[in-house]
Amino acid sequence: MKRFSQLAIPYIVWAALMLILPMALIALYSVTEHGNSIVSFSLTLDHYVKFFTDPDFLLILWRSLVIAVKTTIICLLLGYPVAYFIARSSERLQSILVLCITLPTWINMLVRTYAWIGLLSEGGLIQQILGFFGFKEVELLYTEGAVLLGMVYNFLPFMILQINTSLCKMDHSLLEAAADLGANPLQTFRRVTLPLSLPGVINGITLVFLPAVSSFFIPKLLGGGQYFLIGNVIENQFITVGEWNFGSAISMIMAVIMMLMMMAVRKVEIRNQGGKEE
Amino acid sequence: MKKGKRTFGKVLMGLMIIFFYLPIVYMIIFSFNEGKSLTNFTGFSLRWYLHMLESRDMMEALYTTFSVALLATFISTVVGTIAAIGLSKSKKIVRDVMEQVNNLPLMNPEIVTAIGFMLLFITFKVEKGYVTMLLAHIAFCIPYVMLSVMPKIRSLDPNLANAAMDLGATPWQALTKVIVPQITPGIVSGALIAFTMSVDDFIISYFVTGSGVKNLSIMVYTMSKRVNPSINAISTLVVLIITLVLVLINVAPMLLAKRAKKSEISKRRIFVPAAAAAAVVVLILCIVKMSGTSSGLPYEGETLYVYNWGEYTGENLIPDFEAATGATVVMENFDSNEQMYIKVANGEAYDILVPSDYMIQRMIDEDLLQKLDYSRLDCMENLTESVIGLPYDPGNEYSVPYFWGNVGIVYDKTKVSQKDLEQEGFRVFLDEKYKGDIYLYDSERDSFMMALKSLGYSMNTENEEEIQQAYEWLIQCVETMEPEIVTDEIIDNMAQGRKALGLIYSGDATYIMSENENMGFYLPNEGTNLWSDAMVIPANAKNPELAHAFINFVSSYEGAYDNSSYVGYTSANQEVMEDLSGEGGEYEGINAYLPRTDNDKDEVFVYNEDTRKLISNLWSKVKIAASNAK
Repeated sequence: MKRFSQLAIPYIVWAALMLILPMALIALYSVTEHGNSIVSFSLTLDHYVKFFTDPDFLLILWRSLVIAVKTTIICLLLGYPVAYFIARSSERLQSILVLCITLPTWINMLVRTYAWIGLLSEGGLIQQILGFFGFKEVELLYTEGAVLLGMVYNFLPFMILQINTSLCKMDHSLLEAAADLGANPLQTFRRVTLPLSLPGVINGITLVFLPAVSSFFIPKLLGGGQYFLIGNVIENQFITVGEWNFGSAISMIMAVIMMLMMMAVRKVEIRNQGGKEE
Repeated sequence: MKKGKRTFGKVLMGLMIIFFYLPIVYMIIFSFNEGKSLTNFTGFSLRWYLHMLESRDMMEALYTTFSVALLATFISTVVGTIAAIGLSKSKKIVRDVMEQVNNLPLMNPEIVTAIGFMLLFITFKVEKGYVTMLLAHIAFCIPYVMLSVMPKIRSLDPNLANAAMDLGATPWQALTKVIVPQITPGIVSGALIAFTMSVDDFIISYFVTGSGVKNLSIMVYTMSKRVNPSINAISTLVVLIITLVLVLINVAPMLLAKRAKKSEISKRRIFVPAAAAAAVVVLILCIVKMSGTSSGLPYEGETLYVYNWGEYTGENLIPDFEAATGATVVMENFDSNEQMYIKVANGEAYDILVPSDYMIQRMIDEDLLQKLDYSRLDCMENLTESVIGLPYDPGNEYSVPYFWGNVGIVYDKTKVSQKDLEQEGFRVFLDEKYKGDIYLYDSERDSFMMALKSLGYSMNTENEEEIQQAYEWLIQCVETMEPEIVTDEIIDNMAQGRKALGLIYSGDATYIMSENENMGFYLPNEGTNLWSDAMVIPANAKNPELAHAFINFVSSYEGAYDNSSYVGYTSANQEVMEDLSGEGGEYEGINAYLPRTDNDKDEVFVYNEDTRKLISNLWSKVKIAASNAK
């Protein structure tokens, strides 16, 4: 048995090198000055101060969080009924529908986002349809709406699949039992189905919120060059401004915010499970 | 009641399918469009597919995407499974710690993980390219594999392996004959997740790649600024490949199961189609990776790494050069001098760069360039006088000009009056008459140039007060005028007349005017930037000899003509410039093609580290303000 545990050693070394060290490097860069060389070593918190004292940066961070929350809510509102519908279908239809939802996620995200450019651009299909209903000359591409649409489009399948998985795991006899005990469909849903699907909902929220906050190509492709989210700010610091230390500091801030949020979400989950056992 | 619900569900499901597939179908349809437009279907044609097949860039991106994905999937599945088995027998504390570590790439925003990898490779001086991309992909795939294998291991009876060994199996046999078959479903789904993640990845690849290695995502990202239906064609191809793979994996087991009723098939259920799917991918890769060979040429088998602006070379320039020399050219594109500088300053090796004037000066100051070897150059006498001996490199010791021009205003003659332009100059970008109808160019230098010139200052000012005023000018512009800040997107959009005004490089204006006769180009009298981009050889170039051959080729009449006629920028080659602008030339009568050289207020950029930093920070704040103003 012992010998099997040695199988893990190479991976532990690898993980230390490829997973822990990079994070340590970001942390190091974020508290040093002009760190393209590690020779000049002086600790500083200036980068963090710079970020938190500049209302523009804070506003961008706030807007990124808001649009990610919006995306998550829309995905949840759309995704839950769809997942529910799939879970209630016959087994055969279920596997086909799941495949239909999965297929787009297999196609490269950039490609899928790029596909929207033609649809949304001036004179494109969507504008023509809107024009038909009397909305003339609505600008679609390079707006916040387009960014939101792109995010929902890209991340919605994750939400549906997660919720669907947890709904399918549910024991159907529970629903019958609830009905037998006199619960109406609404009560059954609220007291039985919803709590049991919560793990899926939480996983879905994680899988949507996380990439939505840090996405930078969706805003760039669909929001245009003047549409900045926090991901774009980080990209900009590394790719064109060259202030890697400041960029690292923003990355650290993002990572910490995400960690706190995830912890909060997990707490909800744990409390919910605790409640069930009572 | 119940029926109503079902209908609601069906309708919702239908809408959802439309939502998911509409863009994909739209893209597939337009990949067969005859015209270049993404909105008007003008007729069926396969030209974009031909274009795609001829584009080595695209084919290589396809190859990189799938070969990295297959390798990363294979390696991470094997390593992840072994590690998961090992960990399941390790002490609890080790297991818990490793679970947290594995969560890092899963729970961190992807961009943070990406930057971590980038800093890692740069700190340890690993040359960025295919290998780094593969390493990064393996690193973020393994946790997904372990995540799907772990639960299967946990559900195994812990005594299973012991029992097997008691019965005489060696540990290896216990592992391969007993444990692995039990957890196969977990391994397969882990492998599938790894494959999807790898094919889908953009952010991590984007930050860890180098030496011109691009996957599909990076290619789409860098090409998306110009209308290019070939992207639709290659995307359609990807959709086809993926659908084929998925259908094989999902449908084949059902068919197999039907044919041979459950029995012994169950074990092979997934392996057979998975292997078939892998075979399909490998086959496609083989078709894609066609390599032509020729012989007897001077630079046979050598590679030239060129780092140039996007859309800055003629259609045949690279193939012609390759045919003439036997060398292979790997071209990578940048959209700003700053972006190029950061990569080069961090040690990425290229043989040829094409920076602008002030950046060349900076790179000379920082010893990033090597002196040209004039004994290898035979092109200097072809060049026009206006671009020789400019202040950034007075003796042309380091640089050979490529394109040159001005920065001016492109405008729609039907929407903007000549009088406004003459009266207001660059201030036309503050004229609320044109609110929501303007493009700014995402270049810190030229945006500040516009503001400074408009305020009557030198664009090379070191006076912080003046720069501050220019900053406020730009802030006023983004807060009151609702501009779109773009780079190359401006070209196709102005050619289609989408906005009234835009700040633009003269070469792009030339192209726009040759496409749309309603467009005009105006140079304000208050002065503008007289720029030139030139070829230089970085100090760490691996093949300076071939680089000199490339400079000669580009500066020759044929090379320069191909470049200039295709791109629209003004050639540094005197003869080409005259032929293209002269009678019967492609750009006859287009004022943007011939740069203005007779206005005293026009300047050439001079590099100054302090103002650069200031302007760079201020410009990113202008962009943030523009974004917040929305």
